[in-house]
Amino acid sequence: MSSETTHPTHEDVLLDVRDIYTYFRTESGVVKALDGVSFDIRNNEAVGIVGESGCGKSVTAKSILRILPKNGEVVAGEVYYRGVNLLNLTEPQMRTVRGKEIALLFQDPLSSLNPVLSIREQMVDVISLHRGVDEEEAAEIAVKMMKAVGIPEAEQRIDDYPHQYSGGMRQRILIARALALEPRLLIADEPTTALDVTIQAQVLDIIQRMRKELGLSLMLITHNLGVVAENTDRIHVFYGGRVVESGPTRDIFKDPHHPYTIALLESIPSFVKGKGRLATIPGSVPQLINPPSGCRFHPRCKYMTEECKKRPPLEKIGKDRYVACFHVDKVLADRKKSS
Amino acid sequence: MASVELSSSEQTEVEIFPGSPKDRTDAILEVRNLRKYFPIESKSILFSKVVGQIKAVDGIDLQIFKGEILGLVGESGCGKSTLSKTIIGLEKPTTGQVLYRDKDIHHPKSKTESMEVKRNIQMVFQDPYNSLNPRRLVRDTLKEPLIIHKLAPGREEEVVIDMLKKVGLEDYHALRYPHEFSGGQRQRIGLARALIMKPEIIIADEPVSALDVSVQASILNLMQDLQQEFNVSIIFIAHDLSVVKHVSNRVAVMYLGRIVEIGPTDMVFDRPAHPYTVSLLSAIPFPDPDIKKKRIILEGDVPSPVNLPEGCRFAPRCYKAQELCHKEEPMLQEIRPNLWAACHYPEDEKVIFFDVVEEEA
Repeated sequence: MSSETTHPTHEDVLLDVRDIYTYFRTESGVVKALDGVSFDIRNNEAVGIVGESGCGKSVTAKSILRILPKNGEVVAGEVYYRGVNLLNLTEPQMRTVRGKEIALLFQDPLSSLNPVLSIREQMVDVISLHRGVDEEEAAEIAVKMMKAVGIPEAEQRIDDYPHQYSGGMRQRILIARALALEPRLLIADEPTTALDVTIQAQVLDIIQRMRKELGLSLMLITHNLGVVAENTDRIHVFYGGRVVESGPTRDIFKDPHHPYTIALLESIPSFVKGKGRLATIPGSVPQLINPPSGCRFHPRCKYMTEECKKRPPLEKIGKDRYVACFHVDKVLADRKKSS
Repeated sequence: MASVELSSSEQTEVEIFPGSPKDRTDAILEVRNLRKYFPIESKSILFSKVVGQIKAVDGIDLQIFKGEILGLVGESGCGKSTLSKTIIGLEKPTTGQVLYRDKDIHHPKSKTESMEVKRNIQMVFQDPYNSLNPRRLVRDTLKEPLIIHKLAPGREEEVVIDMLKKVGLEDYHALRYPHEFSGGQRQRIGLARALIMKPEIIIADEPVSALDVSVQASILNLMQDLQQEFNVSIIFIAHDLSVVKHVSNRVAVMYLGRIVEIGPTDMVFDRPAHPYTVSLLSAIPFPDPDIKKKRIILEGDVPSPVNLPEGCRFAPRCYKAQELCHKEEPMLQEIRPNLWAACHYPEDEKVIFFDVVEEEA
């Protein structure tokens, strides 16, 4: 769409996603999973991608790495990684980006590991291929990384099979494997959703520690607002295949501008606040086969007017702050009144 | 277990039930020294022999009072779901009893007693997609239990419509199939199906964990409203501690088949006594960047319920463990009024601080 809606390129930008549209062909019609998504990730930065199911979080990761299923396609837009548009690369070129430059960590650690191969086989192959070292050296790197992520007795355990590890340990193996390739960007798609809270704390702790040690950027995709609050510098809030608000993490939590972000934050049960009734958002997340016109959130929004049936641009409202809503002034006036 | 014998005396006030508040005498459900072991069999052509036991539930005493919401929390594999299945009668206990108003639910004396118990303990499941029959109209799903239990002879449809409205659906929804509903609406149907029996106890096993945050809020509100309206007791099982804190009056924390801490919600969350509860609470990420807290990161994983550690089950991961903890298993004891914990060295101070750090952006 209009180029004004994209972020101006920051000198430090590592990944610049500009106005991408990803569509899926299905039996019941075309699913517009991403509908003009723009955001950026800078060097050494942890960025959170937040939203509810079906908002396009995971599709964004898959579009960036070009690993969409057969029926999906990025139909428009650009994905600049260190100045190169990934969408123009050939498949062999793309293979040198995946893993080595941009690593991906999935939600379910069991299905990301081959159950019939030992951890050694799964790590050594990848490391020797991408880093151009022989198997012996690759094994050394693997053991070193396994130790770094806190796997005890790594020298022996490298010969174990995935089923011999617990869920948290498997996720550590995957982190070790991903980071052994020394990528610049780690995309973590719900990395701790399948884990218990105490294990989640361990895994997030490792990701943060490794990030600081290796100086890599993190794109953390999650629906858990607590996880983003504690682990990111900036947030992009997704709704219905679009970015509706983005900004520094603290600003988003302390001073949300978009009606959806506000409603989302109010609907989580708070630890600190009292009981009372939870704020709810009427209706449910939009179907992207036949999405609402204009602002995707308007059917559920209390600020809805005729104007909202047109698409609101993602407008800059401050340093690193962007909001896609026609009624920001009214929303803010209301917030001031209530506080 | 229950070192204080539950004597046959009529004076219930005299009984001290581990984990129960002393001022309440209106218990409607009692779990006594419940154990549920699953045998691990090694099979050969001729013989199969039991080589071990998975101790999913390993000695639980618990009372549920009239009209309370008891939150049951713990990590995966701690036995929450096995406990709930045994309470509702889907699993037979290895030892111990579950008593609903003094009737043993696993050994009913008559058909009528069995029917009465079943009617009064209902369940709401986690997955609203798989817990409704896809080939049945919502009306038929809701009507069947009424017919079986002869609760509203001749007026079943009326009762069904009534209940649908109570859970925030419309009368025309009765003539639809489950696939026509969203996840949140299906969970409303699940609630309607449980409540239509006018039960005294509902066991809700992770009722909101499959839902999006915005939908989760409306289901939690609805559950609280319905709880008030029907004065039903709810055992609310969840792994999301902020949800449990929001809805429940009392909380029981489970670890490896045992209750390690139980007490009024505010006490458990504000000043937990058991180190496991402390670490569990400190592990929750807060949706507020200004709150910084001391985080206790636990070492290792939950041990396997086959080879339980000797002494306290939590000792291998505990930041406070001493020699005694590895030798002797602690029993539930009252640490502060109504707050019970099974620990040799309970925390007596407030150990988790939720500091609001004022930071200049």
